[in-house]
This record gives sequence, C-alpha cells and structure tokens, in this order.
Amino acid sequence: MKQFIAVFVDALRLLRARALFWITLGISAVAAILYLSIGFDEEGVTLLFGVSRFDSDYLRLGSPLAEMFYLGIFSMVIVNLWLSWVAVILALITCAPVFPEFMAEGSAGVVLSKPISRLRLFFYKYLAGLLFAFLQTAVFCLIVFLAIRLRVGTWNPSVFWAVPLIVLMFSYLWAVMVAVGVRTRSVMASVLASLLVWFGAWIAKTVEEYAWTAGELGEVPAAAGSMRLSESEQESWRDRYGMLSMAYTILPKTSDTVNLLQRLITVEGEQEFALSELLNLMATGEPERDDEVEAALERHSMGFIIGSSLAFEAVILAFAAWSFCRRDY
Amino acid sequence: METAAVEIEYLRKRYGRFEALKGVELSVPQGAVFGLLGPNGAGKSTLVKSLLTIVRPTQCRGRMLGERIGHRRTLGRVGYLPEHARFPEYLTGRQIVAYTAGLARVPGREARQRTDELLEIVGMREWADRKNGTYSKGMRQRVGLAQALVNDPAIVFLDEPTDGVDPGGRVEIRRIIENMREQGRTVFVNSHLLGEVEQVVDEVAIMARGEIVERGTLEALTRQDNRYEIRTLGPVPSAVRAELEQEGIEVAGDRIAVTAEDAKGVQALIDRLREGGVVIREMKELRFSLEEVFLKAVEAQGEERAR
Repeated sequence: MKQFIAVFVDALRLLRARALFWITLGISAVAAILYLSIGFDEEGVTLLFGVSRFDSDYLRLGSPLAEMFYLGIFSMVIVNLWLSWVAVILALITCAPVFPEFMAEGSAGVVLSKPISRLRLFFYKYLAGLLFAFLQTAVFCLIVFLAIRLRVGTWNPSVFWAVPLIVLMFSYLWAVMVAVGVRTRSVMASVLASLLVWFGAWIAKTVEEYAWTAGELGEVPAAAGSMRLSESEQESWRDRYGMLSMAYTILPKTSDTVNLLQRLITVEGEQEFALSELLNLMATGEPERDDEVEAALERHSMGFIIGSSLAFEAVILAFAAWSFCRRDY
Repeated sequence: METAAVEIEYLRKRYGRFEALKGVELSVPQGAVFGLLGPNGAGKSTLVKSLLTIVRPTQCRGRMLGERIGHRRTLGRVGYLPEHARFPEYLTGRQIVAYTAGLARVPGREARQRTDELLEIVGMREWADRKNGTYSKGMRQRVGLAQALVNDPAIVFLDEPTDGVDPGGRVEIRRIIENMREQGRTVFVNSHLLGEVEQVVDEVAIMARGEIVERGTLEALTRQDNRYEIRTLGPVPSAVRAELEQEGIEVAGDRIAVTAEDAKGVQALIDRLREGGVVIREMKELRFSLEEVFLKAVEAQGEERAR
C-alpha cells in the first residue's frame, strides 16, 4: 500500500507540475459554469444567466422535460464533445511522457532497485496515469451535479456515471499509449499510436453502423436523408455484416462506452433518459419517443461494449506489462 | 567469521551476440568501501544493475546480504545511486527522498525523520524544498545520496558518484562515503576516476571487457615488491653515490631506491648514510599508484587476449 501511495502521490505531483493539466481543468470549469448558466423560467429556457431567452411550451421551470433537456445537454454536448474528445486528447498528451520518461537512463534504476515487483510497479504506474481523466471528470461532474440541483431542483447522482465511463474510455487509449511507450520509449510514437487506434475505432464503428443499418433497417444514409435498399441488397448487407463488424468487435468501443451514459442517466430518479424523445423535441417541438431509434442505439449490450473493449485493453496491457518486465534498463 | 556482503559465484550477461559480463566472480566484504574500477564500457554498471535486478542477467549465481541475488525483499536493505541519476524535475529534494522511502516501504514517521537527517548530512537541508529542476549537478548528486540512504541500507551502490561534480562536491561526497563506512555500511563504488576511488576504498576489483582482471585490498595491489625509497636533503654526495651504485643500489639525485625484505633491512643503509653525513629527509615503502595498477592489469588482459 505504501508503495502504491508513493507512486500515486508522485503522479499527482506530476499532474500539478504540468501546465496542460491546469489548462484542461480551467476549461472544464468554464464549460461547467457555462452549463450552470443555462436555466429555466416560467416562459422557457434562459442562457448565460438570463442574458438570452428562448420561449418553449415544454421546456420551462418545473416542466417534466426540463430535466431531460438539461441532462441531454450534459450527456450529448458536454460529455460527448468536451470530456470524451478534447479533454481526452489533452489527457493523452499530458500523460504521454509518463512511461518513456520513467524508463529513461538514470530514472528507472532507483525505482526498480526497490523491493517492488516490476509487474506491480507497471500496474501502479498505469493506474496512476488514469488519475488525470478521473480528476478532470470528477471535478466537472461535481459542478454539473450542483448545477442540476440549482437549475432543475433535483439531486441527480446518476451524472456521476460519466466519471467511470470517461475513465474507462481513456483507459483503452492509455493502454495503447503505455504499450507503445514501453516498447519505443518515444512520446511522439505513443501519442500517434493511441490517436491511430482511436481513429481506427471510430472508422470501425462507422462501418459497423452503416452495415447494420443497411442490413437490418434496409436503409443507407444519402445526400437527401436516407435511401431505401432492395430486399436483395439488404440481404447482401446482412450477409456481410459479420465481416464488416469484425474490426468493431475487436477494437475498443470508445464512443459507445461514453454513450452508455445515456442509458445510465436517469431522470427524476427512475425515468429512463430517452435520446429520441429529446431529439424529436428539439426537431419538431414534440417530445415523442422513437422506439426504433432507441432499439438501434441500444442494439449492443453494455456487457458487449465494455467486455470486448476491456478484452482489447487486457491484451494490450498484457503485452505492455510483459515488455516492461522483460526489458533491461 | 566475517561474511561477504556480496558473493557472486558466476554472473554472465549477454546482449544479443555481445557478452557484457563474461562469468564474473566477485566477493565484496561486509563493512568495507569496495571500488569497482574499469574503463568506460567495461561492464561495471551492468554488474551493479544485475545485482539490483535493473538488468536481467543471462546467468547468475550468488548471494547478497545472505539471500540469493535478485531476492526482492533483500532490496529493501539496499541503497542505490545510479550513474547520471535523473529524478523528476517537478519534485523537491525532500519529495525525492520521501518517494524513495515510500517505494522502500519505510514507515511514514521514520521516513520523515530520516529525510530531515539525511538532507542535513548531505548539506541540502536549506534547499530541501526547492524543485530538483533548480539544482546544480552537485546538489542533485547530494540528494541522490540522501535517497540512497533513506531506507538505512546495509549496502549502498554508488555508480560514478563524483562524475560531473566540482572538486568541492567531490570532497563532500568522499566524506559522506567515509561516514557510511563508519556507520558499518558496505559501500560499493563504481568509478573510472581512479584518483577519487584511491582516496576512499579499502578493496578494489578492476574490470575490463566484462571480466575481473585484478582484485585485492588497496594495500596489496599497490605494494611494490620489497622496494623502499630514501630521500636525502640535497643530492647524494658523489662518493657515497658511487659506493652505493657499486652495490647495485639505484641512486638518482636525492633519491635512493633499495630492495629489502622489510623495513628493518633498510636500517643498515640508513646508518651508513648518516655516518657519511647525509641528512635523511624521508623514507617510505614504494607503492604503485592505483592508476599504474589499473593500466598494468588492463594491458595484461589485452595482451593475453591478443595471444
């Protein structure tokens, strides 16, 4: 335990010393305050602490959809754009030198000569690397949690699901970064490799989504909305789905992991958060739930999304740990 | 009976086709300052790193502090200052020592107490709360020494401890090493700076091309075979000189070199010189410098390999 605390405290000090950590934390705080600036009154939605106002029949103080709208902004805009994209990229850049610097000549020797096994040391350092994502998300969610209470009047602890989900998503990429960092001792190579895997995961998801929509719904996206496929075309896509979704199955599900937040967030403690309901409200002004869209969004189980991603992470980490334990310093 | 702090029976390390350590056998006595000397690339650092599990030896048999080499828990009784030690720039001197203490599982209160004491001993108390990035090379080495001692080790490995340190800092580091010996610790110093090592070690081993080519106490290695030197006040008078040279004694200016069984054997010559009115300024047993011993050993190995 003492050794874990030593590694953990060192990681905290490393973060404190990095300007990017404070910049990211600062931007997170600003984003959270902007979120807090959205409110409701008797006539609709107010922005920037009342500077601007939008009238709405559904979104107003005390309306049942107000909390859903407020949570929708959190889970779709702030989490999806800021926490799971920009903040993760900044976290990756900040944490990238952790292993290469540790493994530099004259640096690793002192630690490796202590009564701590290499495997344990590796995992301590790996876990300490997750601290960045954890702290950023935790601070952010705390502000959001208070904002919801202030704006909607309810305590909604389900927003804290964003913390483990973002950390989990970061951990997939962090594992890649660690593995490449251990093998090459290059900061640049490890950043590029993790971004490449991330991009690859996004491509794989897009291909899988396209193949599923074509095979199961018989539609493909087109310039003017969507295009209906013939029976035989649909059948053909269905046959090819297994092959086309292979990369998606193997690679970590970065965006799907973060999107799980929409399944885990609850409104007023029990009501399920329905994305289609919110999207329809914003598009047509009518909060109508689309069961087909909801089913499509939830076609992969939480177990599959997290389990297969963790399997990828475990393989990468096992390789990284093996390399870390086998090499000479 | 005195047991060895380190007893290497056989240590071999290969990097691909290159053999960095060729079956080294070495014994380091407990409580002594032991110097491992050798040119750059001789394998000194690899040997130390192998003992400390930083490098994975190809073959290793031996014991350190009574346990097999590589025994994890035993490393808790070992201190280490690597060559070109690099501690994080964002840590202060105190935090560096505390970090090592945590990794070595030193209990909290003891760690804090020892950190203060050690920073005082190495002369860094005043700068203890400044960031490592602001330290000079000498200050970093001092902090490095403090962290190497924070777990109260029975044996301390110092790899090139005075490399890049100014003369004042070197004297300080020598004093710290002597303190370690007084405290009963075994100190294993790796260095290619022979003059530095000569002033502090009790026993040395010379390493070249992955092999130990010479070893022994400093006393034994530097001793020349029964040679003594007498120095006179002014040149030896020519009459006396001629007489001595006739007997095969070397005389050069104010210097007389003589071979004798021991110091008693030189007394007769001293009496004769004094009878001849020669004033004796100094008499000493002739010794090789460590540099001469080192060069001889390395050259001998080179010649042997050439044959």
